[in-house]
Amino acid sequence: MADELILDVQGVKKAFDGLEVLKGIGFGLRKGETKVLIGPSGSGKSTLLRCINYLTVPDAGRIYLNGEEVLDANIDSMRARMGFVFQDFNLFSHLTVLDNVRICQVKVNGVDREAATRRAHHELERVGLGDKAAAYPAELSGGQQQRVSIARALAMDPDLLLFDEPTSALDPELTGEVVRVMQQLAAEGMTMVVVTHEMSFARQAADEIIFMEKGHIVEQGTPDAMFTASEHARTRAFLNVIAEHG
Amino acid sequence: MDIYDVLIRDFPFLLQGLGVAIVLLVALLSIGFVLGMAICLIQLYGPRTRLVQWPLLLYERIFRGIPIIIMLFIFYYGISGVFDISAFSAAILTMGLRSGAYQSQIFRSAFQSVPSGQMMAARAMGMSKIKAIRHIIFPQAARHAIGPWTNEFSSEIKETSLAYVIGVVELTRQAHYIITSTQGNVLTVFAVVALLYFILNRTGNSLLYAFERKLAVPGFEK
Amino acid sequence: MLEFIEFGIEWFPELLRGIPVTLSMWAIAISLGFILGLMLCWARVYGNRLLYWISTVYVELFRGTPMLVQMFFIYLGLPHVGIVFDAFTAAVIAITLNSAAYQAEYFRGSVLSVPKGQLVAARACGMTQWQAIRYIMLPQALRRVIPQWSNEAIIELKFTSIAYTIGVVEITAIASDIGSKTLDFFQIFLWAGLIYLVLTSTVASLLRLLERRFYVPGVTSA
Repeated sequence: MADELILDVQGVKKAFDGLEVLKGIGFGLRKGETKVLIGPSGSGKSTLLRCINYLTVPDAGRIYLNGEEVLDANIDSMRARMGFVFQDFNLFSHLTVLDNVRICQVKVNGVDREAATRRAHHELERVGLGDKAAAYPAELSGGQQQRVSIARALAMDPDLLLFDEPTSALDPELTGEVVRVMQQLAAEGMTMVVVTHEMSFARQAADEIIFMEKGHIVEQGTPDAMFTASEHARTRAFLNVIAEHG
Repeated sequence: MDIYDVLIRDFPFLLQGLGVAIVLLVALLSIGFVLGMAICLIQLYGPRTRLVQWPLLLYERIFRGIPIIIMLFIFYYGISGVFDISAFSAAILTMGLRSGAYQSQIFRSAFQSVPSGQMMAARAMGMSKIKAIRHIIFPQAARHAIGPWTNEFSSEIKETSLAYVIGVVELTRQAHYIITSTQGNVLTVFAVVALLYFILNRTGNSLLYAFERKLAVPGFEK
Repeated sequence: MLEFIEFGIEWFPELLRGIPVTLSMWAIAISLGFILGLMLCWARVYGNRLLYWISTVYVELFRGTPMLVQMFFIYLGLPHVGIVFDAFTAAVIAITLNSAAYQAEYFRGSVLSVPKGQLVAARACGMTQWQAIRYIMLPQALRRVIPQWSNEAIIELKFTSIAYTIGVVEITAIASDIGSKTLDFFQIFLWAGLIYLVLTSTVASLLRLLERRFYVPGVTSA
């Protein structure tokens, strides 16, 4: 039933300069589920993720968050309920770590400053950066910045977290700390959509894996089904390439 | 009377001229700031139609392409033909408009040097465009702008001397009065005047540098 | 509008006579300023302590005081110690000295922005220090400096109008002269402004061509 879904994506289409990147995508997400979007670059995964919170406005299709449709008119309040984690972090560079996690609670959700501070400290502890509250983004490693950006998203008390290749901009030795935080969130029952090439994460933490190619969903299923008994040659080929090089 | 006696006797006039120059400077920078910020915001976030953007571009081109002396004459004689305006007000208006053309460019490139991901992240967190500009983009742009703005401040101090040509009795004009009324070594008079400008410039710059240091955070150092 | 055009037809040719004076003043001054600016830059970057100190004081003094005061100093002040120039020469000297200070700063910034490894590599393949500067440093630094240098050149073109205050018969002076003949300062200065706008736009376009001509990927930005 549709109204049990936290996120319901229906028939999303998007074209850039006449090139169709998403050709009618639909999927749903129940509370506490983690779905991982995989697929070759250019398959439309990131565009799909951006369409969900209208960072890219879809040409067609509907998106529902908790049964409420995402529209231009309500976009700011909808976005406040969907955390978004960027590939390149995008921490606010003029603010301390603490202020990064605090500012949108105060300015968007109207939380009072004291409560926002407590919440910020709590979320920073949660991602293992309780001691970095006073630092500025430029003083942190990439992995630390990404964990702050996860804390920033968590502090908004979102219904849903969207991750756009959160480890792709990191040096290989720094991906582990971010993946561990994401695994922990999945285990705690956070509802998440994750675009990633980290197959270990997909395998361990995903309730379902969605394989996309050329703007279509080719196949979706549990990690076990996808990794061991994929029905599609394209999926198997992709997973093989990733297994060798990823 | 020896030139030093003249200088000592007439020094209050020089200080008075300096005062006029400072008032002119503050006024023109304030007008330029408001105007420049408005132009910058319209250029970056306003409607992209030619009807809006084209006149702004033309405005910048004209004020950046024509010497300030010519502009002072045009505005002073142009306006005083229609209604009464003092040379001082004409100078403030002309130089303020001109500074606006320069400041808009300073602000524009400062805003543009804030990475686009900052706006995107702010919007993704649920901030409206105006909130994002106010809380995220503006504080960063201000840090990028303050260096170039200090240069603009310096060059405007020196430009105030050109209000001389339409008869504003500022520092350079006062100096000119002094040298036309004495036979002595006027080199000294100009040296003193130059020194006054130099001190004013240095003082202003130090204050702005201090402000810049105060705003500096890691990632935004000079 | 018609009146404006008729007025223009009558007086424009006379105004045009000022263009060669304005342009020659400008061309001589920025060329000499270029050479002096390079020397000052060299003294600040590679010179010994004395040279560094002299060039720094020079640059700070000329950047810290108005061109108008500098011109008065040279034309009205220096005769009192027996140094006399005609107005044109005095103006050229003032603009040269002023421009050199600014050019030196732009050169210095550009020289310092060339990565250290470039000179090390040049020395490593057997070049002398002079060769390394001449063949490796200078070509990169000069390419990088073109945009700022172009700005500076246009600022100085507009500054030539200041020469009017000491009586050089250039565009502004002719306009002022026609203004007192016709008592229509507003219109004649509009025409003069138009001439300056054409001059500065033309120079700006030519300098952009220069920039494109010397474009090298990675050294200069597109």
